[in-house]
Formats: sequence, C-alpha cells, structure tokens
Amino acid sequence: MTATPARASRGAAIEAHGVARSFGDVHAVRDASFTAHAGSVTALIGPNGSGKTTLLLVLATLLAPDAGTVRIAGADPVHDARAVRQRMGWMPDVLGSWATLSVRQTLETTGRLYELTSAQSRVRARELSELVGLEALADQPTRVLSRGQKQRLSLARALVHRPEVLLLDEPASGLDPAARVDLRVLVRRLAADGVAVLVSSHVLAELDEMADSAVYLDQGVTASAERIESSRAGARLWRIRAVDRAALSTALEQEGIASAGEDHLGTLVSVAGESDAAALLARLVTGGVAVSAFGPAVGDLEHTFLDLARGEKPEEAR
Amino acid sequence: MTRYVDTLGTIILLELRQRIRSVAWIVLVIVVFVLVGVVTALLWASISAFGADAETAGVYSTIIFFVLLVGTLVTPAISGGAVNGDRDAGTLATTQVTLASAQQIVLGKFLAAWTVALTFLLASLPFLVFSVVAGGVRLDTLLASLGVLVLELGVVAAIGVGLSALMSRALFSVVTTYLTVAALSIGTLIAFALGGLAFQSEVRSTYIGVDYSVGGEVDPRTGYPEQVECLPPETYDYLVPRFDYVWGILAANPYIVLADAAPTTFDRNGNPQDLFGAISTGVRAAQLAPELEQVTDECAAALAGEAVPYDYETPQEIFERTVPSWFVGLLLHLLLAALALGGGIARTRTPAGRLPKGSRIA
Repeated sequence: MTATPARASRGAAIEAHGVARSFGDVHAVRDASFTAHAGSVTALIGPNGSGKTTLLLVLATLLAPDAGTVRIAGADPVHDARAVRQRMGWMPDVLGSWATLSVRQTLETTGRLYELTSAQSRVRARELSELVGLEALADQPTRVLSRGQKQRLSLARALVHRPEVLLLDEPASGLDPAARVDLRVLVRRLAADGVAVLVSSHVLAELDEMADSAVYLDQGVTASAERIESSRAGARLWRIRAVDRAALSTALEQEGIASAGEDHLGTLVSVAGESDAAALLARLVTGGVAVSAFGPAVGDLEHTFLDLARGEKPEEAR
Repeated sequence: MTRYVDTLGTIILLELRQRIRSVAWIVLVIVVFVLVGVVTALLWASISAFGADAETAGVYSTIIFFVLLVGTLVTPAISGGAVNGDRDAGTLATTQVTLASAQQIVLGKFLAAWTVALTFLLASLPFLVFSVVAGGVRLDTLLASLGVLVLELGVVAAIGVGLSALMSRALFSVVTTYLTVAALSIGTLIAFALGGLAFQSEVRSTYIGVDYSVGGEVDPRTGYPEQVECLPPETYDYLVPRFDYVWGILAANPYIVLADAAPTTFDRNGNPQDLFGAISTGVRAAQLAPELEQVTDECAAALAGEAVPYDYETPQEIFERTVPSWFVGLLLHLLLAALALGGGIARTRTPAGRLPKGSRIA
C-alpha cells in the first residue's frame, strides 16, 4: 500500500544532533538528537513545556540553536537558512492569518513570497484550497474562518512550495473528527509522495494512527532508542471485555493473572509483549470465555511515553 | 535583483492590502481632507479680509505645515506596530520562514507605511493645487517644500517601523515613536529656549545723551538745543540669553528644516512673504551673537547734526548674513531613520540568536 518514497534515497531528511536552546535561565531544549526520513511520518511527543515547539522553531530556521547541529534536507538552517526554507514547510502552533486577505489571496501571497510567479501562485492557491477543503471559502477574508478552518489554511500555507520536509506543530488541535481523518489521510499521502513529515502533538492516540516512528521529548531531552525499545518490550496493560464478566475473572484466576483493575470498558490485565497477549487470548477463548474485545489499553505511543515519563521521575527527584 | 524587488513588492502590497482597506484609514483620510479644507478656507478668508491680493504663498506654506503636523501625528500609529503587531497576530514567523529576508520584510513594511503616510498628503493635494493655481507660489519653493515634507514623513515611518522591530510590544514602540517625533518637534524648541537661558552674557550698554537743561531753546527743526552739551555717559548692565550658542538644536526640528529648506522670498521692505520665510528668518536671527558692548551716542549724532542712526537690520539682511541649517537637520533625520531601520532588520533576522526578555519568535 505504501508507495515507494520518491526522495528516500537522500537519506535522513531531518537530522538533529545534540540540539540545545535556552531562553535566559529557561532551558527549553537541552539535548535533542533524532533523525526523520523522507517518506515517513515521525511523531514528536512530549508533555506541555517539554520543548517541542522550541525544537520545531530551531528546525524551521527561526531560532538559532545554542549548541548542536541540524540538517534539513541536507542544508544547515543556521548558515544556509534560504536553502532550508526552499525545501521546508512549517505550520506553527499559533494560529495567525492576514485578517483582511481572503483565503485565495493568502495562499497567492505566500506563493509569491516563496518566489513563485503570479501564474504559478494562482494555480497553487486553487489546488491547495481544494486540497484542504476551503474552496467554498476561497474569497472570504480569513478573519471569518473558524479555528479549524484557520488550521487548514495554515497547513495549506505550509505546502505552497511543495516542501520535502514538513514540520507540523499541533496540526490537529481545533479540528473536528472528520477534519482529523482528512488531516491523517493528507499527511499519509504526502509521506507516500516522499515528504518527510514531523508532527508534534500531545493527542497521542491520533499520532498512533499516522506516525511511522516517534521521537520522545521530555524536559528538552530526547529519549534514546534503547530506552524506547526497553519500554516497548516491557509489560503493558491490555483490556479484555467479555460477555460474562464473572466467567472472565474466574478464567483469569485460573490462569494466575491478577486483574490490574476494571473500568467501564472491561478488565485490565498486565501482559508482557504481543505473543504473550495472543497466547492468553487463545487460552481464554478455548477455555470458553466469550471475549468480545481484546486489545492494548493504551496506544503504543502513549504506553511508551508514559513509561518513559515514569522512568524519568526518580532520577529527577534526586 | 528582480527577484529581490519582486519579493519586496509582495511585502509592500501585503502591508497595503492590510492597512489601506481598514475603515480607520478611510476615516482618517476623510478627516484630514476636511481639516485641510477648513484650514485653507479660513486662511483664504483671513487674507482676503486684509485686502492683500492673493498672497497665496502664505496659504500654501501653512497648508504644508499642517500636512506635516497631521502626517507626523498619524504616521507613528501606522508604522509603530508594523513588525511587533504582526508577531502578536502570529503572521510574522510565517513570513520569516518564506524566502523573504528580514531586510525585505522590514523595508517592505517601511515603504508601505511611508506610502500610507503620503496618502494624507494626497488627501490635501486638492487644496495645495488650489493655492498654487491661485498664484504666488514659486516653483522652487513648491519643489523644495514638497520634497522635504515627503522625506520627513518617510523619516517618521522609518523610525516607527524600526522601533516596532526593536521593541517587543506594539504599544511601547508606538509611544516611543510619538515621543521621538515630540522630542524633535517640541523638545528641540524647549531645549533651545532653556539652553539659551542657561548661557547668559552680560551686556554693557552705554548711553550718551544730550543735556536739554542747558544750551538754550530747542531747535524745532532738529529737536536738539541750539548749543548741544553732552551728558556724562550712563552705563547699564543686563543679562541676555545666548541663543547663538544653542541655535544648532533647532536645526533638528522638522518644521524648521522644512521652513529653512524652502527658498525664502522677501517683499520690498525686506520682510519674508510666507510662513517658511518668517520661521526661517526667526531661526537664523538666533545665530547672531548679541553685541556685548553697545554704545548709543545721541550726543555725537546731535553734534554732527544728524538723527540717531536707526540701524536695525531687516529680516532679509539677517537672512543673507547667516547660514542655512536645513541640510544638517535633514541629514540627522535620515541618519536616525537609517539607524532605526538597520537595527530593526538586525532584530528581525532569523534564525534568531538572543531574544530580549519576554519576547518570543512566534
């Protein structure tokens, strides 16, 4: 199903190594290292204030890092910002639009600022307003747009110059469920066309559905690959729902598995790894328990994120 | 090069689209149009009342000053929030990530603010044309005054845009721009007056009069006694302010730059014909050092059989023996404008290094 990434041969589209940036005494990003590849969607995950936006601003050529190196599509944002800007699209977390300009004029002006000709800008504006579903509002001034519509305009603006690298800062906030699905489909399609997409969000379930890989950022530090691997491999909660709750708990007792709690959706049990979970399900079903739902209680990203966050705490306390 | 100009043009157009379409701007232009119209009508009526036939040079110069006043009052509001206002609205960073450079962004905003300021000149154009058509305005006066007016409005626009890039809050940069304009327009006058009073010199004035109590009858023809006897010299000491030390401060005043730059014409009695000339000769007179030893020898004049020499200079004579200062002031203003814009560009440049406390990039 995944199309061959057209530009994947260039290797890492985003490379960050030891990036740090502080504002006075506030160390927003302390040590961020990761790579993101062309044709894939990378999630940037972290709690509020973990430095996601600052890191994205560094990647987007707006902030100079205090330390570390960054390469976007092979170019250095500090010394060759122009080369980066030609290949990178950035959608900020702040919703801003030129209030008196129409949607069409906004996209055309952005095209002109990316040095497209007037004719190219017009064509591109029409394409993009259709792509993000704003064609009906193309002649409306942007100040009348709703939050979700502004969000879509902001995404369209980031795509005007067909960037190879797309940085999306909280793109789904303010979108209704249907628009979220559209966003996911669009992001996947861009990735299929070979774009490297980096998406930050704290709505982890949403990222689970669209991201190929994830970068975890906590207090300005990215988690290392080993730590992510170990927390992925660790035991996690699975949720089991059975038609007969009592039968399920008896069966679990016989298995010697303690229930980790119950919620309105089912019974939670701690299982280490996918194969153990599959084996448990098989035993329950053969044991005659009418299981109606069986799955991880939290998404992959959320599990890893929460596990990493728990791992951090004792260290921080010292 | 064309690509540079292209992007600059896009920024200017973007700014104009955002500002010129606003209702506030249209209202302001109408207000300026009406105000200048009223001022013109009043001036015209008052001149007619004096019976002078179409001394419109005075009307023209007054309108130009009025446009400078209105322009310098409105331009800070237009330009003073150009960059930081965009940052607050969340539209600066999205422009910075495009291929538009900091230089293009700041210069584009400056040129747009200047253009908007000039629309106020445009609104008063019908009345300027009227006063020119009615006669009495020389072409060189017209060109010099319009030229300086256009430049001065540009200076205010540049300072406003520059400060809006240098300061993080729009309110502060607008106020600072107003303060700068006030410092140049009113502050220089206050500094001039206080400076002149601070440096005072003592003048010794000696008067040698005629003793009317002796010498017989007063000759009705000359007004002196038949036998002129001199009184002993009387001396008075008093302090005078030394405006000649501080007149340079006035060179920085935009109104005086405008007045001094316009070629001044004088009437038969050596009096200036328009407001430019009146202000300019007044300022030029400040360049002259006061005579610290003054002797009025009425007696010597009486002995020689003459009237006391009445040797006051006409404004034209003062004008001709003093130096113009407008280019110094104008240069200073242009330098200020360039500094503000240069600083603004440096601050808008991305990737940003150090950020001032409390400001953010996006």
